[in-house]
Amino acid sequence: MNSRRLALGLLAVAAAAALLAAPADERFREANELVRSGDYPKAIALYGALAASGRESASLYWNWAQAATARGAQGEALWALLRARELDPGDRAVVRDVERLREALNLDPAEIAPEPLAAAGRWARRLRADLLAVGLLVLSLVAHAAARIRPRGGWAGGAARATLSLGLLAAALPVAASFARPTATVVRRAAPLLDAASPTAETTGSLREGEVVPVLESSGAWLRVEDNAGARGWAHVDDVRRLDTPPAPPSD
Amino acid sequence: MRTGDRGSRWAPGTAVAALLLLAPAVAAAFTVRSEVDARKVGVQDQVQLTITVEGSGAPDEVPLPALKNLEVVGGPFQSTQVSIVNGRMSQSRSFTYVLQPRAVGSAEVGAVQAGEQAAPAIPIEVVAGGVRPPEPRRPDPFGMDPFGDPFEEMLGRRRGRAAAPKLLVQAIASRTKLRVGEPLVLTYALDTQTSVADLQFKEAPQYAGFWVEDLERPQASPSGEAVTVEGESYRRFPVMRKLLFPTKAGTLTIPAATFRIGLARQSFFDAGGVVERATKGLTVTVEPLPEAPGFSGAVGRFRATASLDRDTVPLGEAVTLRFRVEGTGNLKWIDRGPEVALGGARVFPPQAKSDLKTTTEGVTGSRTWEFVVVPETSGTVEVPALTFSYFDPGAGRIVTTETAPLALRVEGGTVAAGLPAPVPKAGTRATGTLPLRSDLDAHGAGALPGRTVALLAGLALLLHAGIWGTSRLRGASRRRGDRTASSRSVRAALRDLEHAAGEAASKEQAAILVEKALHEAFGEVPDDDDSERARAVRALLDDARFVRYAPQLGEYGDKVKDLAARAGEAVRRWA
Repeated sequence: MNSRRLALGLLAVAAAAALLAAPADERFREANELVRSGDYPKAIALYGALAASGRESASLYWNWAQAATARGAQGEALWALLRARELDPGDRAVVRDVERLREALNLDPAEIAPEPLAAAGRWARRLRADLLAVGLLVLSLVAHAAARIRPRGGWAGGAARATLSLGLLAAALPVAASFARPTATVVRRAAPLLDAASPTAETTGSLREGEVVPVLESSGAWLRVEDNAGARGWAHVDDVRRLDTPPAPPSD
Repeated sequence: MRTGDRGSRWAPGTAVAALLLLAPAVAAAFTVRSEVDARKVGVQDQVQLTITVEGSGAPDEVPLPALKNLEVVGGPFQSTQVSIVNGRMSQSRSFTYVLQPRAVGSAEVGAVQAGEQAAPAIPIEVVAGGVRPPEPRRPDPFGMDPFGDPFEEMLGRRRGRAAAPKLLVQAIASRTKLRVGEPLVLTYALDTQTSVADLQFKEAPQYAGFWVEDLERPQASPSGEAVTVEGESYRRFPVMRKLLFPTKAGTLTIPAATFRIGLARQSFFDAGGVVERATKGLTVTVEPLPEAPGFSGAVGRFRATASLDRDTVPLGEAVTLRFRVEGTGNLKWIDRGPEVALGGARVFPPQAKSDLKTTTEGVTGSRTWEFVVVPETSGTVEVPALTFSYFDPGAGRIVTTETAPLALRVEGGTVAAGLPAPVPKAGTRATGTLPLRSDLDAHGAGALPGRTVALLAGLALLLHAGIWGTSRLRGASRRRGDRTASSRSVRAALRDLEHAAGEAASKEQAAILVEKALHEAFGEVPDDDDSERARAVRALLDDARFVRYAPQLGEYGDKVKDLAARAGEAVRRWA
């Protein structure tokens, strides 16, 4: 009786998910058609709306990057690909295109990876180190308890020690990655770097298109960033897009 | 008297001797001073050294002292002052040099020696950059003063700047008839009869109808080239060169250019000056290029090559196709690479890379278009011959060069993640189509935040510590003789002991049951535990093992019953 209820519940959840997903899939296909017809701005707006609604995926950002490239917005394309890589670090096509765009934008590898710990985070997501760590730690607890209950079972003590060590190692990756500063990509050519979070602030320099910069703080529609040369200043979110969060929903 | 006589007799001799002795001192009655206008200068600054000799008998010439880390860039400029005070005449003569530091560090003007007189050495500190306010005019742009004033040399004295300086600037085109895209060298030259310190455009000219590239400043003789212009002799110095490519056909004009020319100081007291001179405009006749399909406007002489970064590739991986054009001409103009369409492979829009240098012949070097090619089918992908057309001015026609065909072997394999599935239909043209993904894949479950993982790991460590601590506490309490065994364990142990005392059990079975009951009730009893309970349990275990392993030489029923009874008592008392 219980298993029947469980199956019915799962079916209901699946159906609800399909109903919710259907419009998103349709809008995604619609955006793809817009790209094929050459209406890149509309297509990008549609991709943006989808991402802002929470339907992010590597495929969405991949297509977004293709549309941005076709539109000539290489910085935006690089941002979309980097965001796709954040979501699916194992996507080889994305990684390859990131490299291609980086070279096209004449950027050094370090200029799109200012935070080495961010790479640890990608590896953690790719290997699902979080789940692995939790599983190993639970196993170590079970083995430890077994070793205490049955002291003569020698394997349990060894297993507890081994799984605890591995679990802590696996946990170290996501924990280390959590210390990485958030980053953002410059999506506009010669985006101005201002001395205050205001459109009337003085321009202190400009940012290179495609460069990935650490985000030091944010204030409304402004991000305080540090460029590759160490210059710090404020940039507008239209010019510099964060890599750790989906884009904000379009404002009316 | 004698004395007076003797004195009068010696007086003339003494006076003569005194005069003779004083004569050199009188002859050398002058002083020498050496002064600089700054003791600390930047390496880009200049120092003025003034050597002054004052007094009668001063030499006409004073040798330049030894210079360390300094070089003379101007002078010596001489000035003489004569003054009469209280009927006495004094004269001073100054020699002024302009010195330039050679490098950052310490510099020194050596001791000045003039006859018997000397002035001490002067140390100067040279720092990076410039520490003095900039002069209104820069020194000679040619790095040295090539314009020695012939009149000064001839007359041996300083000339005033009474007459207007004779200067001309000329714009000289290497040719005046050419095709669109062909380069011409435009040289700006200075014809002069005097020294100049600076020369620059008053206003940068606009070369309408031309693509302009700057060329390096021409290497010229320091003394220039002798030319005659309208019957006047000048020294000609080429000062600027530009490479001009006409971008349209017709009659084009190179506009007149006005230069501001700074005149060099002729002496220390000469302030120099600035004059303006303009070139004459030039007219150039530009012929159009012929039309031909595939011709993109390249003019010059070029060679095209194509290459793949590897010959064999697993299906799903990408290769790079490089199309390279090298030669001399207007290569900088050519933005568009060739159209590449490959059967069975997707070709992405190319990235262009350039390695170009501007010379008087045109823009020399190479331009490379890199196409990323992703095969979509196994087998062989043929890269056809790629063509490049250009206008050869020497031949006067459009020439087409083509690359050798290439073959790419695609080996079967798994398709790389993220790539669209291979399309079995070969021969489709992929250029221009974007590799879109058709499915909006669900984004996988988000990863646990690092802080959460850290908390979970900490919790696991705490739990481990708890398990370990509990176990230690239990052991300790048992060692203290507390009743720590669970009631279930005690009941099970007593049940086993009842079975052991039963008639049906053999002595071995009974002994095993007693051992099991004791272990169940008391667990491991450490050897170092010297409590009464531990001693009793160890004694019971020893007895049980004796019963178990002793040979069957008699009846052990009573012994077993006694053992089970004692064990039961111990369990009830301590477990």
